[in-house]
Amino acid sequence: GKWKNKERVLIFSSRGISFRTRHLMQDLRTLMPHSKADTKMDRKDQLFVINEVCEMKNCNKCIFFEAKKKQDLYMWLSNTPQGPSAKFLVQNVHTLAELKMTGNCLRGSRPLLSFDPIFDQEPHYALLKELFIQIFSTPQYHPKSQPFVDHVFTFTITDERIWFRNYQIIEEDASLVEIGPRFVLNLIKIFQGSFGGPTLYENPHYQSPNMHRRLLRLSVAAKFREKQQVKEVQKIKKKGTKVLVEEDPTEVVFETPAEEKPVEIQLVKPESKPIVKDKKKLRKIQRKKQKKLFRTEG
Amino acid sequence: QDGLKQCLAEFRQQLAWVERLDVTLGPVADPVSQNSSTSAAVDPENDFQREMSFYRQAQAAVLEALPRLHKLHVATRRPDDYFAEMAKSDQQMQKIRQKLKSKQEAMERSEKAKQLRAMRKYGKKVQVEVLQRRQKEKKNMLNAVKKYQKGLSDKLDFLDEEQTSSQGNKKGNASQRTKKGPNAKRRYKNQKFGFGGKKKGSKWNTKESFNDVSSFQSKVAHNKGPGKGGRGGKGGKKTLNKRPGKRARQKMKNRAR
Repeated sequence: GKWKNKERVLIFSSRGISFRTRHLMQDLRTLMPHSKADTKMDRKDQLFVINEVCEMKNCNKCIFFEAKKKQDLYMWLSNTPQGPSAKFLVQNVHTLAELKMTGNCLRGSRPLLSFDPIFDQEPHYALLKELFIQIFSTPQYHPKSQPFVDHVFTFTITDERIWFRNYQIIEEDASLVEIGPRFVLNLIKIFQGSFGGPTLYENPHYQSPNMHRRLLRLSVAAKFREKQQVKEVQKIKKKGTKVLVEEDPTEVVFETPAEEKPVEIQLVKPESKPIVKDKKKLRKIQRKKQKKLFRTEG
Repeated sequence: QDGLKQCLAEFRQQLAWVERLDVTLGPVADPVSQNSSTSAAVDPENDFQREMSFYRQAQAAVLEALPRLHKLHVATRRPDDYFAEMAKSDQQMQKIRQKLKSKQEAMERSEKAKQLRAMRKYGKKVQVEVLQRRQKEKKNMLNAVKKYQKGLSDKLDFLDEEQTSSQGNKKGNASQRTKKGPNAKRRYKNQKFGFGGKKKGSKWNTKESFNDVSSFQSKVAHNKGPGKGGRGGKGGKKTLNKRPGKRARQKMKNRAR
């Protein structure tokens, strides 16, 4: 058949990403045959430069990974010319290469997309669902794609986050094995334009990682301060209130100072006493025996 | 919110389902979970429950989508002779298989070790029991023999009893059969040297033996008898004892010279 649905996704990242993110990017590129790779973007440039890059590469969708502080990973999903874009915080990344992911699929086979019913209940989730579908589904009859459908992507909403999993379909009766990768997306904002524009939606449950770390540190500090305060209170309690006693004039009446003796300085060492052994003194054992007898008599 | 809806309306693509292949379904009903309340609220901290809910959601999607695909003549099963590049390289799959195998082997080894230990314990228990039973039998036999010796029972029933009981139990435990080997030697020695038993207290005097003065000989007691065979040419111990001291011998020597 003819390839009609011309979707192309540009997958690239900024500088300063960790090995895990790099592997995740590569995994997404292998799983999505309708993707294109690009070099790392310099962080100096503004985000709307990405739109130009996409246009140059003739892509109409984009997945952009941004790493901050070498710790936090943000992911932008966007429809490049004018459509909406969304920024997520990515957590719990596991890549294809992990040995616990035992499944395998054809390279470039088309995925089945499975969504949680919650996606239909909220307008922002509905928008996200549309975005996911357009980005992640491989167009039919794409030259690099395989005609079989042998794996399924699941997007589930739990704990205010979107969980992504990839399973291989082994049997027709829906026995599945996980292929990987897997990650968790925490929605931050949805913008009307691509990498900019007015904010359509802001996630109230989102807490930036900096804030999270700050709260942790504050809680630790608060605990420490509390301990110190408790200690101080205890100290004050222990000291107690001092009662001032008036000086009694009759106390010193009977005190007579002693006579002053002349200061004697010894110049000669005194004679050492000779050690005299008391022969009358019985040995220890005999002393004990005597004691015993004495006790039994008395 | 309206902005969202408007944006969505603009953004939405009208594509055939075949292009999109999306399914929105809840998870498959789990036969294991009894309460409906637990299935409704999946605890995100409970890893196993969470992953199982994802799994079931995927299953539901697959169960719904595959028939649709078949109707649209889209193949889902890869034929066996279709070889193409896979998402993970063969090397990777090898590694995975190795890991799984090693895990399984480790588990088997630990299982075997556990079983061995259990068997050894049981074997030890059985051995102890057997030894105790043997000692009991020995004790009973000895008592019976002593009784006969002391004249309390003049029946030699115990010998017969042992034979009949052992014959009766021959068809019984297999553990008794293991006595055959050393028992032959033991039996021979017992026959030759008696029934063994306690060595230390075996020669204690009894009341009767103490009061028995039949072996008293007054001449021997007072040392008045003729001695052992009348002290012949050699002379017995007594003459040797009557040897004079050194001085007496020297005196005798001097006098003789």
